[in-house]
Amino acid sequence: MDFNPCMKHKAVRKSVRKFAETELGPIAHDIDRDSRFPWEIIEKMRPLNYFGLQVPKEYGGAELDCTSYAITIEELSRVCAAIGLCITVHNSVGAYPIVRFGTPEQKKRFLPRLASGEQIGAFCLTEANAGSDAGAVETTAIYDNGQYVINGTKVFVTNGGVCGLALIFAVTNTDTQGAGASVLMVEKDTPGFSVGELEDLCGMRANPVSSLFLEDVRVPEDNMLGRPGDGLKIGLNALDTGRIGIAAQALGIAQAAFEAAVKYSKERQQFKKPIASFQTIQNYLADMATEIDAARLLLYRACAINDAGQPFGTEAAMAKLYCSTVASRVTNLALQIHGGYGYSKEYDVERYFRDAKITEIYEGTSEVQRLVIARGVLSQLT
Amino acid sequence: MNTKKRAIWVFGDYRNYFQNRVTLQLLAKANDLAPKISAEVCAVLFGQGLDQYVAEYIAHGAQKVYVVEHRSLKNYSVEKYAVLLERLANDYQPETILVGATSFGKEFAPRVAKRLGTGLTADCIGLKITEDGLLLQIAPSFGGNLLAEIITPNHRPQMATVRPGTFQEIPHNNELRGEVVRLPIQKDLPEDRVRLIANERQAQRDQRIEDAPVVVCGGRGMGSKKKFKKLFDLADLMGGEVGGTRPVVYAGWLDTDALVGQAGKHIKPKILLSFGISGAIQHTAATTEADFIIAVNKNPNATMMKMADVAVVADASQFCTALIKGLKARIQA
Amino acid sequence: MVSELPWDSKTGTLRRDLAEGMMNPACANALEAAFQIKRRYGGDIITITMGPPMAEEVLYEATAMGADRGVLLTDPYMAGGDTFVTSHTLARAIEKECPDFDLVLCGCHTSDSETAQVGPQLAEELDIPGVAYVEQLEINNRTVRMQRLSDNFFETLEMDLPGLVTVTTQANAPRYPSLSVLETAFGKPDISILGAADLGLEPETIGVQGSPTKILDVYSSTAKKKNLIMKGTAKKIVDEVFEKFGDRISGAIKKDLKTHYHEKKP
Repeated sequence: MDFNPCMKHKAVRKSVRKFAETELGPIAHDIDRDSRFPWEIIEKMRPLNYFGLQVPKEYGGAELDCTSYAITIEELSRVCAAIGLCITVHNSVGAYPIVRFGTPEQKKRFLPRLASGEQIGAFCLTEANAGSDAGAVETTAIYDNGQYVINGTKVFVTNGGVCGLALIFAVTNTDTQGAGASVLMVEKDTPGFSVGELEDLCGMRANPVSSLFLEDVRVPEDNMLGRPGDGLKIGLNALDTGRIGIAAQALGIAQAAFEAAVKYSKERQQFKKPIASFQTIQNYLADMATEIDAARLLLYRACAINDAGQPFGTEAAMAKLYCSTVASRVTNLALQIHGGYGYSKEYDVERYFRDAKITEIYEGTSEVQRLVIARGVLSQLT
Repeated sequence: MNTKKRAIWVFGDYRNYFQNRVTLQLLAKANDLAPKISAEVCAVLFGQGLDQYVAEYIAHGAQKVYVVEHRSLKNYSVEKYAVLLERLANDYQPETILVGATSFGKEFAPRVAKRLGTGLTADCIGLKITEDGLLLQIAPSFGGNLLAEIITPNHRPQMATVRPGTFQEIPHNNELRGEVVRLPIQKDLPEDRVRLIANERQAQRDQRIEDAPVVVCGGRGMGSKKKFKKLFDLADLMGGEVGGTRPVVYAGWLDTDALVGQAGKHIKPKILLSFGISGAIQHTAATTEADFIIAVNKNPNATMMKMADVAVVADASQFCTALIKGLKARIQA
Repeated sequence: MVSELPWDSKTGTLRRDLAEGMMNPACANALEAAFQIKRRYGGDIITITMGPPMAEEVLYEATAMGADRGVLLTDPYMAGGDTFVTSHTLARAIEKECPDFDLVLCGCHTSDSETAQVGPQLAEELDIPGVAYVEQLEINNRTVRMQRLSDNFFETLEMDLPGLVTVTTQANAPRYPSLSVLETAFGKPDISILGAADLGLEPETIGVQGSPTKILDVYSSTAKKKNLIMKGTAKKIVDEVFEKFGDRISGAIKKDLKTHYHEKKP
């Protein structure tokens, strides 16, 4: 069992960290405050393959292994979680389902533009009445003479405001409810496709999360990913890799908060001593360090299992559950250590705190992760 | 011991005002050190038409000036000058050679040291004589965060480049007398392998932020682009330059050229005034060589405040206004 | 992180084994200059570094970005060397590994000690023309034309190859390696590892032992700062600043200041 990262993984971390600290570091605070999507940085990320992390090289991607992918998201999120979010969603649930389920023609059509970042991808499952319950999707896609006509409204779409290609979950066979869900690839400029107002969210404010409206949107039947009714299968599969990304993101946020807490507790003097010299603070820091380490090991193990080509759904769910829980706890403690300053927007720890919470909610709530884990455990131990 | 008197040599760097001043500063320091090792202070000058410098160096404390004048030495040449100094040093065996840490000095001195087979300490900000009579060279390390005390125990000459502005020059004194030793150009000096094609003096007005004696740096804490403009008024008043952090450059409050940071300009002013900067490592790493830092921030715990000599707990913009007012009132008309 | 590099308090030298394997910023500019030269004029890029075994990472990084091969000089005997012995060691390695080189590119200085001496001394060791602080360069046949700003003079210089230049951080913007290149580069990069014996260097001529300069002591410069904290109204603090530091300010701005400003009050 080797716990040392290999040279490649070290290099990936170093390279992403340098990019993130140099390019995202100086603006992370401001783009959060202004809810601004930093196109100027996105332009810089495009040629560096950030938009084709797991896309095969023949389509212009970097074809990273899962561990490198997790490290990339972790390091981006350590500096700017909202951009980490954009990248992870684009890659894991925007591009990867096409890598996994697309026909050769679909790959040729869609992947190069996604991998180059020309189109940013979005994954549209959630609706007003369908979140964790994917079977309750109400958007419909009715077959009509070689085309599908899509109608419905998607909410809380990450990258919604900037997406070029959306993977839409829609019911193709209205008789069979959830079992009839399918996935359709819809490009932004298709008539009838429109973006709603950006959501005003607690955290991840630099990510243009929005609603998407589909009004008689017509796409050729070739735009269907997989076969009619494959929606649930594709969705669950995408969520497995998606969870790796969100776990990595949560880990990155936790790491940032922890580093801030360590730095602050060494600097901040009370009773003429750095607060780091007080046992209470030390206990906090010790717990934070331990939990982050445990979270990291859990995540990397899930990645390693995936890289070895084995089923990793349960492990990914465990990693996602634990990393996001740790992120919330660690950012909470980091803010506490900062005292009143931590509650001020002048310090980044307040942003970490807001950004961390959503990792317990999206890509499957913690409650749903437990469901997945329990299902895995129960099926293994009969 | 040698019958010759021991000597501390100062390389006469004179190409522009600042280079000339550092030479005078080194002569002053050499005068301070020389009595401790019973040495004489010598200047070494290469070039053409050097009479004014010979006189000036004597008036600033050179007891002896070695001069090599020739038209082939008119333009500064690292290679030729290095060979010349190497040969002179071999002939006269000085105890110590001091060179100003100008761009030229920092390129020239290492080559001389290499040719003489001796050590060289870069960019010293302090020189002393140890109890053993050795030159103690104090040099910044790690971007100025650390100071190292260095000696060259077994090799001669002991060589150091010294940061301009480190020492105070002795006031010009026409009463001082010194010996002038004029040496002929050597016939077998090698041809320059590096050819000077063009050489243009930069307009004096264009002070570079890297060289400015006063730098006023602003961060997000200034509040707005309008308020940030006050920093330019302050810098003008102080004959300094304005720099800033990456966020203010991104916000369009300041040109990219003026970014002070690891990826931007590294500064070493006599005074750095830091307004509303928390002190991310990318920024502070480029400011550690400032001699004196006055930081202004509402947050007393900001890294920049900890680094500062004077940490002013106040609103950056308001304090800037007060400082401009205070300065205007005090500057003698 | 530059400010947190650990140093060995006994020998006073940087404990490069504890510092993360980060590429020196100016060296990244030198490497970028090499890539640009390669693109325009062709050639092979060989990167050389001296340091602890983990310095190999930097060579991997360089290879990932497009260098053709790397040479790591690592040996306990090489540790703690000053610029005199460092340039000596590098020169012997260059002569051994790439005797037919055309151009040596160095970063103009390291971010830790900033001596800027290794480049010029390496030119002496190799007995080739050298130019420091180069901001722009182009090559015509066997002639390099360079531009730089040196002590407020814009200089245009020429030299024939082989030669050496040191490159400033203003020269270019180093690229980030793309993730796809990183993914490929870690197959089997061509990196050779050499010790003192491989270069025929006697231990007493290199590293701490061979260095003419000796470090007596290293201490934190910030520890000596007073860090005076001033609070109150802006006006009051301004008065206090001038009262305490008026001379210093006057010296820096080269203007006389009224010293008895607030004694005007009745």
